Amino acid sequence: MNVFRRTVLAGLAATALFGGCMWPAVAAEVEVSKVSYGGSPWLSHYPVWVGIKKGLFAQHGLEVQWQSFSTGSARMSSLAIGEIDFGGTGSISAIALMASGAKAFYVIAAPDSYATVEGIITTPDINSVADLKGKKLGVPFATSSHVLALDVLEQAGLDPNKDVTLINLPSSDAPSALMAKQVDAVTTWTPAFNSLKAQPNTKVLLDAREFSLYKQFKLGPGPDLLVVNQSFADKNPKSTTAFLQGYFEASQFIKDNPDEAAKILMELTQLPMDEQSNVLKDIEWIGLADQQKMLSPDGTFTKGLQSLADFLVRHKQIDTAPRIDQWVKAELLP
Amino acid sequence: MRAEPAVRGASSAPPLPRRRGPIAGASKLIISLVSCILIIAVWEGAVRFGFIQPLFLPAPSQIVNRAMLMLEQGTLFGHVIASTWRVMVGFVLASCVAIPLGIFLGTSALSRAIFDPVLSFLRPLPSMSWIPLSLLWFGIGESQKYSIVFMGSFAPSLLYVMEATKGVDPLLVKAAQNLGAKQKDVMLEVILPASLPQIISGLKVMLGIAWTCVISAELVAAREGLGFLIMNGKEYFQTDTVVLGMVLISLTVMATDIVFRALERRILKWKD
Repeated sequence: MNVFRRTVLAGLAATALFGGCMWPAVAAEVEVSKVSYGGSPWLSHYPVWVGIKKGLFAQHGLEVQWQSFSTGSARMSSLAIGEIDFGGTGSISAIALMASGAKAFYVIAAPDSYATVEGIITTPDINSVADLKGKKLGVPFATSSHVLALDVLEQAGLDPNKDVTLINLPSSDAPSALMAKQVDAVTTWTPAFNSLKAQPNTKVLLDAREFSLYKQFKLGPGPDLLVVNQSFADKNPKSTTAFLQGYFEASQFIKDNPDEAAKILMELTQLPMDEQSNVLKDIEWIGLADQQKMLSPDGTFTKGLQSLADFLVRHKQIDTAPRIDQWVKAELLP
Repeated sequence: MRAEPAVRGASSAPPLPRRRGPIAGASKLIISLVSCILIIAVWEGAVRFGFIQPLFLPAPSQIVNRAMLMLEQGTLFGHVIASTWRVMVGFVLASCVAIPLGIFLGTSALSRAIFDPVLSFLRPLPSMSWIPLSLLWFGIGESQKYSIVFMGSFAPSLLYVMEATKGVDPLLVKAAQNLGAKQKDVMLEVILPASLPQIISGLKVMLGIAWTCVISAELVAAREGLGFLIMNGKEYFQTDTVVLGMVLISLTVMATDIVFRALERRILKWKD
């Protein structure tokens, strides 16, 4: 018993000594060790979820706290007032917030591309965008799918206000509305897009590769952005960089270990294993090496995002186009 | 030098404060107008001088500019009319069912015992909770929006009517029955007129509640309406659009309230 007690005490002493030596080293690396992230089951948040579960952020001295938000605008509002430090968002929300004059955040990465899991799905009788004339098209307003619909209608010479009836339909309601023939077509994203694709009486009319800016810049209608609260990043640049390191290690892990990643992500998305694996196959993860180039003022991503802002002004979705490069902070990348 | 009064508190005692009468109509109007102007001026100044960020609360001038822009684009009245129509259809349908049913339940203890569990279940449900079912039952058309307003205002209206009917003096009913009035006459000639003032007061409150339901009604599958305007403005961080939508709801409710009061005066003429 005494031997056991001595062993335990020796172990505790060694742990305390080791921890005492290690802790200042970690604390010196990052300004703050506890950060919060606003996410959802959407695919751009996968690396953060996997990074938390695999301890990848912890390796950089960060404890990341996950906060769930159902909409991008709610997440961005929370980020703008400093309730959360980091967040992933669709670019429509980010551009809208920039257009409102809010300077409270930086764009620090463009993590993924998913042009093949968003698009227009129709009933079998519709064969082209021109066939949508006089039809009802369900679209979740103020989202990338809305932008995609406006763009492809414009490309086909159709007026979205006169030639087609656009109905504000959340992505989750798209499958039931199309199957019940309450609308003739829907513009939506995965998982609704994939589940509708699998239905026998539906047809994929087009996907986001038909978006005009994709043809020009390889930019989808609402590319995902990784954003950080401005004041947090200014005060804690090392923590911000550490977060980005963890994030890109996690996205690399997903790329290299899709099956293990799918298993981890099932808890977040509640998708069955096969569906989760299929979603992962459709995502193109953009690595750390490409980020600096893409996010430079002349980079394709920054230019594409600027064109997207101009597009939103042209379609009266926002009043003025912000200068996107004023919000991009590529120097925080590791 | 002034002489002190011989008895303290007699002639030198301050006069008792007079009871003030109610503020006259014109004075009340002026006070309200001045307070309105003052609030708007302080609000405008707070935003212009940077005490409040426009993202969190836009200046009144920004809201007016947004309204002018929408007027130019010809979209402003479309939103007001769409929502007013949805509220009116849902509210009138709810009232048409709630008034007769409420009078019936208010006069029959047995039917109250039967319907009470259902009412207790329906009453606390917010209008938003009906969205998934209403989409399945009515699709994404206008009937779905009417149904949300209907479900949000029906149960509370029914309760108002029921309570108003229960509150009728039983002596009046007894007196009518003693004079040989039949059940139908008692209902139409005694219970309904006696409970009508309270029913109308309740419906006025319910009309305001019906307007809160229109926000939920326009969350899904709407392309115009004040609820849609607010929610779409929120998605694009256009807080001036959001506040404009709120102001328009308040103004429309005020206008419908004026119409309702006129109707009330007409219906309850006998009260004067």
